[in-house]
Amino acid sequence: MIELHRVWKVYSVGPVKVPALSDVSFRVSKGEFVTLCGPSGAGKTTLLRLLYREDIPSEGEVEVLRQEVSSLSRSEVAALRRSIGIVFQDSKLLPGRTVYENVAFVLRVLGTPRREITGRVFDALRAVGLSSRAQAYPAQLSAGEAQRAALARAIARKPLLLIADEPTGNLDEGMAAEVIEIVRDINAGGTTVLFATHQALLAASLKQRTLTIQNGRLVKDEG
Amino acid sequence: MFGFLLGEALRDLRRAGRVAVSAILLITLSLAALGAFWLLSSNMSEAITQFRERVKLLVYLKREPSPLDANALVERVRGMPGVAAVRFVGKAEALGTLKQLLGKDAAVADTIPQNPLPASLEVTPTAEGATLEGVRALVTRLTALPETDEVGGGVEWMERFAQGQRLLWLFALGVGSVLAVAAILTVTTATTIVLHARRDEMEIMRLVGAPEHVVRLPLLLQGMMQGLLGAMLAIWVLVACYALIGPRIEPLISETLGVARLTFLRPHNIVALMAAGTLLGGVGGFLARGRPEA
Repeated sequence: MIELHRVWKVYSVGPVKVPALSDVSFRVSKGEFVTLCGPSGAGKTTLLRLLYREDIPSEGEVEVLRQEVSSLSRSEVAALRRSIGIVFQDSKLLPGRTVYENVAFVLRVLGTPRREITGRVFDALRAVGLSSRAQAYPAQLSAGEAQRAALARAIARKPLLLIADEPTGNLDEGMAAEVIEIVRDINAGGTTVLFATHQALLAASLKQRTLTIQNGRLVKDEG
Repeated sequence: MFGFLLGEALRDLRRAGRVAVSAILLITLSLAALGAFWLLSSNMSEAITQFRERVKLLVYLKREPSPLDANALVERVRGMPGVAAVRFVGKAEALGTLKQLLGKDAAVADTIPQNPLPASLEVTPTAEGATLEGVRALVTRLTALPETDEVGGGVEWMERFAQGQRLLWLFALGVGSVLAVAAILTVTTATTIVLHARRDEMEIMRLVGAPEHVVRLPLLLQGMMQGLLGAMLAIWVLVACYALIGPRIEPLISETLGVARLTFLRPHNIVALMAAGTLLGGVGGFLARGRPEA
C-alpha cells in the first residue's frame, strides 16, 4: 500500500539546507492502521504530503498504491488522490456550505452521478454520527463535529487509504476519543489508515503499529 | 457535471461582486461603442450601395447627331467595358426636361431664341464599374470619343464618403480595442479576486483528485458569463438608443445619405457582438487562470 525507501526531503532556506526528512524507510500493508507519532516539527506533515504528492522527495522513492508518486503526471496525481482520503487538524470545511454540501461537494467534483450523491452523503454522515447535523454550517459545529464532518467528507468517496494529519490535535479528550473510534471503524471496513499525532500517550492508547519520527528521522517502528 | 460547474461559476460571479459588475459594464461599454460604430457604418455602406446603383455619367455632345448617328453612337458606347446602359437625350428632350423642372416658370425657356442645351448621352456604369477607378477609366474612354464635348458626373465624392466610412471603422476598432483591453483586465482582476475567494474550494478539489478542468472551468465560465452579460447589456443599450434616437435623426439621414430608414444591426452582427463579449470575458478568465498562485 505504502512504501518509502531512503527518503530525504531537504528545504533550502537561502544558502542553508534544512533536512525535514532524513533517510526514512518503511512499509505499510493494505488494511493496516499505522500511527505516525512525533513532536511538532518532527516531519510528520512533510512525510504525509509526500504520500499524496503535495510535495516530492529530494531523494529516495515514495510508492503509494503501487505507484512511484514522484514521477506521476498531474492527471495521474489526481487519479491517485481519488483513492486517498485526507483529514487535517483544521477540518478545512468550506464555511459557506452546510455539512451536507461539504460532503456532496467532493462527490460532485469527482463526477459522481447526482442520484447517488444524497445516499452516499448520508451513509458517510451516519458513519460519523452526524446525519442530524447535515444542514448545519461549519461555524455552528463543535470542533469534534467539524472533524467528524471532515472524516465524512474523506470517506464518502470510499478511499483505499485514509491519511489523518493530527485530526485530534485541536480536540479535548472526549472528542478525540470519538474521532479515534470513527477512524477505527473506517479501518475495520478495510481502509488503510495512517494516523499522525504529536500526542505520544494517545498513540500508545491506540495499541497499533506506531512509527515514531524525531527531527525528520524514523527512530522507532513498533507494535 | 456541467450544471454543477455552471452553478459554481455563478457562485463565483456573485463573489466577485463590484469588480465583476465593473467588468460587465466595461464590456458593455466597449461592445456598445463597437456596435454603434458598426450600426453607423452599415448604414453608410447601405447608402454607398444605393449611390453606386444611381451613378450616371453625362456625356455632352459637340453637336446633335442624326437619329442614325445617335443610334450608332449609343451602340458604340454600350460596347465599352463597364457600361451597363446608355440613353441618348436629344436637345429637344433636354429642353423639355428643363421646362418640367422650371414648372410654372417654364415660359422663360420659350423666350430663349435658340435651344442652348446640348444633346447628351446618359451612361450608367455596371455595378462593378461604379468605383473610383472604374468610373475614371470610363470617363477617359468617353472623353476620347470624337463626338464628346465634355463628360460630367463622377464618383469622387462617393469615394471620399467610403474613405470616411473606413476611417470611422478604424476609429471604432481603436476605441473598441482600448475598451476591450480594459474589459479583459477588469475580468482578470475579478477572476483573481474569485481565485482568492475560492482558494479553499480549489485546495479541496485538488486534494480529492478532481480533474484539472473541473477545478479551472468555473473560473473560465464566470469570465465568459461576465462577457455574455456585458454583450447582452450592450445590445440592449443599442436597441434602446436606436428606438429613442433613430426616429429623430431619420429625416436627416434620409436627406444627407439618401437612405430611407436607419437600419439596426442584423442578426449575425448581434451574434458576433455576443460572441465577442463571451470571448473577451473568457480571455479575462483564462488570463487569471494562468497565474501561479492559483
